[in-house]
Amino acid sequence: MKRAITALFTLWMAAFSSQLFAEELIVYSGRSDKFIKPVIKAFTKETGINVVLHTGSSTALLNKLNLEGERTKADLYISNDAGNLQKGTEFKLFQPMDDKLVKVIPANFRAKDNSWVGLSARARVLVVNTKDKSADFVKSVFDLADPRLKGKLGITHSSNESYIAGVTVYLRANNEKVIKSWLNGMKANVGSSVFNKHSKIVKAVANGRKSIGLVNHYYIYRHLAKHPDAPIKVVLPDQRKDDMGVAWNVAGVAIVKHSSKKKAAQQLVEFMVSEAGQKLFADVNQEYPTRPGVPAAEKVPTRASYKVADVPMTDLGEYRAATLDIIEAVGMP
Amino acid sequence: MFSSLAVSRVSTRSVLSTLVVLLASVPLIYVFIHSGQLSLSQWSNLWSARLPGLLFNTLSLAILVAVGSFVLGVSSAWLITRREFFGRRLATWLMILPLTIPTYVFAHIYTSLTEREGWLGLLWAGIFGEDVPNPELYNVFGAAFVLSIAGFSYVFLLVSDALTRSRVDIEEAARLHGLTPRQVFWKVSLPMLRPAIAAGLALVVLHVLSDFGAVSMLRYQTFTLSIYLQMSGRFDLQAAAGLSLVLVALSLTFLILERFFRDRQRYYSAAQAQRTKRRAATKVELTFIWGWLGLITTFAFALPVAWMLVWTWEAWQQSLISEEFWGYVQNSLIVSVAAATLATLAALPVALFHARLRNKISQGYLHMASIGFVLPGPVIALGILSFVLSMLPWIYGTMFVLLLAMLIRFLPLAVQAQEASVQQLSPSLEEAGRSLGATPWENLTRIVIPVLRTGLVSAWVLVFIDTLKELPATLLLRPTGFDTLPVRIWVEASEEMLELAAPSALMLMLGTLPVLWFLMRQHDAATK
Repeated sequence: MKRAITALFTLWMAAFSSQLFAEELIVYSGRSDKFIKPVIKAFTKETGINVVLHTGSSTALLNKLNLEGERTKADLYISNDAGNLQKGTEFKLFQPMDDKLVKVIPANFRAKDNSWVGLSARARVLVVNTKDKSADFVKSVFDLADPRLKGKLGITHSSNESYIAGVTVYLRANNEKVIKSWLNGMKANVGSSVFNKHSKIVKAVANGRKSIGLVNHYYIYRHLAKHPDAPIKVVLPDQRKDDMGVAWNVAGVAIVKHSSKKKAAQQLVEFMVSEAGQKLFADVNQEYPTRPGVPAAEKVPTRASYKVADVPMTDLGEYRAATLDIIEAVGMP
Repeated sequence: MFSSLAVSRVSTRSVLSTLVVLLASVPLIYVFIHSGQLSLSQWSNLWSARLPGLLFNTLSLAILVAVGSFVLGVSSAWLITRREFFGRRLATWLMILPLTIPTYVFAHIYTSLTEREGWLGLLWAGIFGEDVPNPELYNVFGAAFVLSIAGFSYVFLLVSDALTRSRVDIEEAARLHGLTPRQVFWKVSLPMLRPAIAAGLALVVLHVLSDFGAVSMLRYQTFTLSIYLQMSGRFDLQAAAGLSLVLVALSLTFLILERFFRDRQRYYSAAQAQRTKRRAATKVELTFIWGWLGLITTFAFALPVAWMLVWTWEAWQQSLISEEFWGYVQNSLIVSVAAATLATLAALPVALFHARLRNKISQGYLHMASIGFVLPGPVIALGILSFVLSMLPWIYGTMFVLLLAMLIRFLPLAVQAQEASVQQLSPSLEEAGRSLGATPWENLTRIVIPVLRTGLVSAWVLVFIDTLKELPATLLLRPTGFDTLPVRIWVEASEEMLELAAPSALMLMLGTLPVLWFLMRQHDAATK
């Protein structure tokens, strides 16, 4: 018993001391481990700086950061949603970065005060079953409210971050009334049967259970990589002359205000916005690098080939509450 | 001389137990402070907009789970304790094994099994055809199904215990007076079992009220999930605290009910427990018994384990089980061992204090120590977080914070487990030892510890099992980069990496098995 206690105590001390003395960066990461680890590994290899990933849901981690205040151990915060990043800016949790550091990324992909910077972008697109002609009339996301799609539409539940971000973009490009009736129409089409994962929507469209779905673009390419013969195609919505264009959202990074390792943190950001880092960061998930000149994966339509909704990413945070109110008022499942 | 010794003992105990109880009430104080900041209009808004729906959702789920656990738990307990049949020992085990699988793992497994491409989805399509949509779990029935198969074992344990101890002579007397077996069951056995059933159901309902993992995976809005969403989605801590306060009132009702019925149960069970005679089962009965128990086991244990094995094999094949995985296993073990030890030690003075005093104060302490049962995990975590940040900032970010949360969450388990054996430690026992010339140390090692051993061990095991499965507080309070198995299951499951979640779930189950075995062996020895 005594020996067990001594052993346990030694173990604890070891665990604590490694935390107290090691020179390493701590990153609160709301992005899946699989998509961030390759970048971190390359960074550690290049600089010798160790990085500890503390993974969780983007929102919960932001909440934690907010509660911890100056006691936080985190040096950086990574989220896959610009809405969360902007919320952090609102809460004054981040320290603005030097213009020099982030100017390679276009201004609409970062906070006005540079307190966060977008690293990779995803497009909200439609996945359509190629054998099923019933959804061929859909040219805009607003067509998804058409009663012809009753029982044929796949969407995620309304607390999904990408879903909320998408609705926020549409809300900024239109007005509340349009969005409300659109949501009501979709609600009538899906009943209470919504998906909890985008990947399941793609699967359901591929096996013909649904005709069309609203998803982030990479889920479709991920499915096609596994099943190259799947009868699905990507449709870029809202491309006609007066249409708003495709909604984008970015994943990004911020340096925590109370970080004591500002220099090392800046190095990581620098690496992530560098051409090599950008390629890595975007490639693992077939997203669009935010740095101009770094191409996206080959299969993905180039960014110049279609129209993107002209809504600044900071709006995703500033108008999230408004979006949530509408979603709740409609009672989207 | 003896009385002065007793006085000094009591005061040490009272000081220690006061400390423990104060610590345990930290989250509740937090809830009071934050909900106190809600203005009257905010309260009335909360009251009219959110509460009716949440109350309805939570209570309807609780009722359905209570019904489900009643049917599963009472039927299996009755069959196993009243009939002698082939494989009876195995059957007992099969009924408690579901306790090794956390609710969120059940929820995760069943949502993927009932998908169109899942095993059950394919089965459904095979039987009813492709066009009949398969049932979904994202509703009250799905949540009730998951929580019933995950929780009925508590009812089983309590009821089979009561059945083994119950007075068979009364049933025999009833038979002699001409009642049919069925009448005996409804008029004699069931009424005598009522306290055990009620205690078991209250325990199940308490688990439903505080469950976070399953309802959040099934997106069924109960109080606990709504509180979590208020906190993390909308950053509205006050509203979360307000909702918590209502939940506390609700849980407290069930907690008091459970205590009430447990006390009654003591009264009902015979002073000299008579060994029940089990009638040998006929062939027809045997088929029925194994048919029914087999059905329960299939859904509550076999199917989930088969799923875990298949996907773990897949992960193994793709060599996805990395060195890091063993790190998660180690982390889980470290936290669970430390928390179990801490909670067992902390519960001891509270239980001893009550055993010695048996007054309103000690009773009150007992209730205060149960706060971990009435507050949902996310709220406890938040309370600890703000307490530590404002009072003990130097321990923030270390494992002590996490251990503190585990201690508070699972203290009630430890106290309850020790209470029974502490009752056997009458003061005269120690005094007799002293008068026969034993030193205090000898008294401790030869009287106190042997008498308390059973209680200490069960307390340790129960806290160990629950810490091993704990999710919401660990998510918020773990030291940076310190991932446990539940955290990994959570992360992988929310990214739909089935191959990655399965090995962790399997490991969690395997880790619980040896301690559960130990507990059951002790339980058997006690009831023999």
